[in-house]
Amino acid sequence: MSKKKLLTPLSSLFLRRTLTSTPYFSINPIPQYFQSRTVRPLFPLPGFDFPGKCFICSQFGDKAQCWNCSAAAGTTPFLLCSSCRCIQPLDHSVDYFQIFGLERKYDSVEEHLEGKYKDWQKKLHPDLVHSKSEREREYAAEQSARVIDAYRTLSKPLVRAIYVLKLDGVDIDEEETLSDFDLLTEIMEIREAVEEAPDSQALNQIQSLMQEKLKQWSNSFAKAFQSRNFEEAVKAIRRMTYYERVNEEIVKKL
Amino acid sequence: MLRFVSKSLLQGRLGSHEAQLPAVLTLPRLYHERVVDHYDNPRNVGSFDKNDPSVGTGLVGAPACGDVMKLQIKVDDSGKITDACFKTFGCGSAIASSSVATEWVKGKQMEEVLTIKNTEIAKHLSLPPVKLHCSMLAEDAIKAAVKDYQAKKTKPSEAPPVEKAANA
Repeated sequence: MSKKKLLTPLSSLFLRRTLTSTPYFSINPIPQYFQSRTVRPLFPLPGFDFPGKCFICSQFGDKAQCWNCSAAAGTTPFLLCSSCRCIQPLDHSVDYFQIFGLERKYDSVEEHLEGKYKDWQKKLHPDLVHSKSEREREYAAEQSARVIDAYRTLSKPLVRAIYVLKLDGVDIDEEETLSDFDLLTEIMEIREAVEEAPDSQALNQIQSLMQEKLKQWSNSFAKAFQSRNFEEAVKAIRRMTYYERVNEEIVKKL
Repeated sequence: MLRFVSKSLLQGRLGSHEAQLPAVLTLPRLYHERVVDHYDNPRNVGSFDKNDPSVGTGLVGAPACGDVMKLQIKVDDSGKITDACFKTFGCGSAIASSSVATEWVKGKQMEEVLTIKNTEIAKHLSLPPVKLHCSMLAEDAIKAAVKDYQAKKTKPSEAPPVEKAANA
């Protein structure tokens, strides 16, 4: 945390402006590891206000603050400071649904997800802060990577299903061998059909069948998850995994 | 795919060892040569008629990766496995494991093949830890095939028309 790296003309401009508005939260000479969960400045001396000494870590405070200008978090999720536009450090307690302001439900993801994702990237992309401090560039890299993860996770039904179960404490760890005869016979036949498909038309046909099945099992998952029938939910995920695999094979051949 | 993966991992590996290992540029492989051999030339690929009373079919899957493996044995009256075949849709390690499994069960007694452990297959193929479940799948496939055959023997009247075997 060297002082010279933290300052760029533009950000210092913002900082100077916010100095006067929030003088009491800007200084905390105590290293992070001594700080308790509720961060309170021990020496609220306005005279010591200097952005380079702003060591408060927003992650550990009950009320999140900007690491740079110390403004209180105005938005949830707090990925970006609304007053100095500084990108904030990662906060893993914010889940992927919260990042996009969505309700934590399997089928709450709407078609605007891509737009919301792009909006975040317009604010968090590392290219936007290439001239800023190393610290902020690091935050930008982490935040934008996490937003990518969030988007990828929520935009794919299977990955999203696994994710919502995980948020509910159900880890899909399917190490043991499956012997569901009906499912395996069906998959064996489909995979053989893919392997022996004479042309792309045949492959497309199988692909649309897979899409149908995926949709059907995605609905089953939604129902099972809503009624908290995790056993059925896992079963649906298993089906979806197999159909997705078939799809991947088809894409490889097409 | 296997080649692609090993190639890309190989490049990553070479990146860090290039300085020390300039002479082995073409040699190192992520997988043991036996895996590559079984992947390139899988033994005993095919299918037997699953309704044949002398055939035992083991059908197993790895739910995490979406692999599916079918291993079939042909057993004579003395309980000796005279022939075996497999069909696997999965990664290179899964294909190699099932290919090895068919080679190992041929000519053996049914009781004997039940003692084949996944660790032996894994050791033979030098599978990396993340691929151990592939050898587990092969072990389970052998067991399922034997079980299916035995179920057919004890209930011969049910065997041909019924699709669902005892391993379901």
